[in-house]
Amino acid sequence: MTSPRTVSRLARILALVPYVLSRDSVDVEEILDRFGYTEADLSKDLNTLFVCGLPGYGPGDLIEAYIDENEVIIDAADYFARAPRLTSTEALGLLAAGMAIIGSGQANPTLAGAVAKLTKVVLPEAEAAISVEVAAELETVGLLRQAAREQTAVRITYRSLSREEETVRQIEPWSVFATLGNWYVQAYCRLVEAERVFRVDRIRSMEATDSHFERPEGVPEPGVSYSPSDDDIVCRLGLSPSARWVLDYYPVELVSESKKETVISFSSPDVQIPARLLLRLGSAARFISGDEVRATVAEIGKKLLAIYA
Amino acid sequence: MAALADQNRLMQNVIERVINLLIYLLESPVPVTADDVRFTVAGYGDQTDDAFHRMFERDKEVLRRLGVPLERQALDGFGVDFGYRVDPEKYALPDPGLTEEERFALSVAARMVRLGGGNAGLEGLNKLGGVERGVGLEPLGADLGAESEILGDLFRAVTERRTIRFRYKDDGRTLKPYGLAHRRGHWYLAGDGPDGPRVFRIDRMADLEVGEEPGSFAPPSDFDIRATMISQPWDLGSEPKLVAKVRFDPEVAWWAARTLGVGAIDGKPLEVELPVSNHDAFVGWILSFGASAEVISPEEMRDEIRARVQAAVAGVG
Repeated sequence: MTSPRTVSRLARILALVPYVLSRDSVDVEEILDRFGYTEADLSKDLNTLFVCGLPGYGPGDLIEAYIDENEVIIDAADYFARAPRLTSTEALGLLAAGMAIIGSGQANPTLAGAVAKLTKVVLPEAEAAISVEVAAELETVGLLRQAAREQTAVRITYRSLSREEETVRQIEPWSVFATLGNWYVQAYCRLVEAERVFRVDRIRSMEATDSHFERPEGVPEPGVSYSPSDDDIVCRLGLSPSARWVLDYYPVELVSESKKETVISFSSPDVQIPARLLLRLGSAARFISGDEVRATVAEIGKKLLAIYA
Repeated sequence: MAALADQNRLMQNVIERVINLLIYLLESPVPVTADDVRFTVAGYGDQTDDAFHRMFERDKEVLRRLGVPLERQALDGFGVDFGYRVDPEKYALPDPGLTEEERFALSVAARMVRLGGGNAGLEGLNKLGGVERGVGLEPLGADLGAESEILGDLFRAVTERRTIRFRYKDDGRTLKPYGLAHRRGHWYLAGDGPDGPRVFRIDRMADLEVGEEPGSFAPPSDFDIRATMISQPWDLGSEPKLVAKVRFDPEVAWWAARTLGVGAIDGKPLEVELPVSNHDAFVGWILSFGASAEVISPEEMRDEIRARVQAAVAGVG
């Protein structure tokens, strides 16, 4: 199989040629910036074009491509006067990105115009065939984004995902984003004095403060994951095929796997999490070990059975 | 070092050959055969039959990955000889007429949104004329999940109206795909099949095959994917629809209200009626509240919950 790098290089060449052909004069710097080229790569691609052309491959058949006094020259390549169509992955990616940002309320009217124009070209007969909605935006999202922009801390009342309890804490919001159907804020938490990712829908209430903070340089991309610690409650479960989705939703460790059953080790700082999971799975999961979880399932189960008696 | 130089030379050869092949296919007024390519286009000479065919197959695959519509046509009535062509009209991207500001807005969106672990569609921007990069990273705005490869194929099936076949929860399915939607962190495909209109979760589809024939069907003229997509997961199912009455305790009422997009009064329990057609998803959601939520009616829903809890309790006993 041909490497993705080769395909990317070709794609850029086929986009570069029509851009230069359709303009009277194009600076090297413009091309470097616009197409993300380094000078060396641009020379290499121009030299490549220089030896390509129509069969016969005589001097009159080849593409003219070179740099002359800081100007990029391409000629005798009329067949490449227009760029190739977007691949379906590219087209879908651009539309989905635009729709996601529009749907999340972070967009300006320019983006809506761009998406509408692109949709007409990509889906000329089926403009209503694609729709992207990220999690419904809560008012909190806008306020957090503003606080992140202005670098002021906020005070939140938070119902923790891993501990079923509410805490009040001051956080310094760095970025606000949607994933897996929810909004998250990546922030420095002054309570635990460390970076944390909070689910925005779990923020029960929020107040602005006038405490300024400096967003650190080079903040890593937020990951919505959980790393187990030594204090965690651990249990072992066997999942039937219909409960395999648990692997995608919880940070679990795979112990063994067969066609009939997937055995996992589940760590959580709060016993409520695996206990409630077991309750919702019913007979689709087999409890193997974990004394705290066993007791909690029995306890909540007893309450539930009393309610549904 | 020598190995690296060889590799670069090899890549260089492929790039030159594919450009020459594409020019030949675009410029040829009639379909050309593999032999025409072999003896006309620079870079294919001096190969054994086998080596040529391998090379040609690889290069055709590269063209497809670039988005070049390579057509294969029978040159006789017996399907023995085939010719290849690229129609310049189908090759070229119709100009969407984007302004510089619009291109820039798209590039910012593409940088803020991740799809399949990468920036969504960013590579396609070059084809639209590139964009001034500027400096700095955009903050992550949304992550639309990891299934980009199958999504691309499905999107092509939707745009080119090709019938598809796939496996879903171990059943074989045939479908006329009408549209794609992203909701609550998942991608869905809506279409029409032997069992009528249906919606499928894409991450549960397997062994996708896209039909050979474009234009195999026409979706209803008023089709709108948004109307197909429902608001909550338990609304997405094929079981008989019923309306469940639920009560949430005060300490979780605000959170349930938020999930459902309804109002709640602080410190008061919340009572709502919800349409349910996927019982399993609904029971799961209710039990994620532990004993802080109760389905009041109908009785059959309460039976399902009781059975589920009994099974879990028996499992730890």
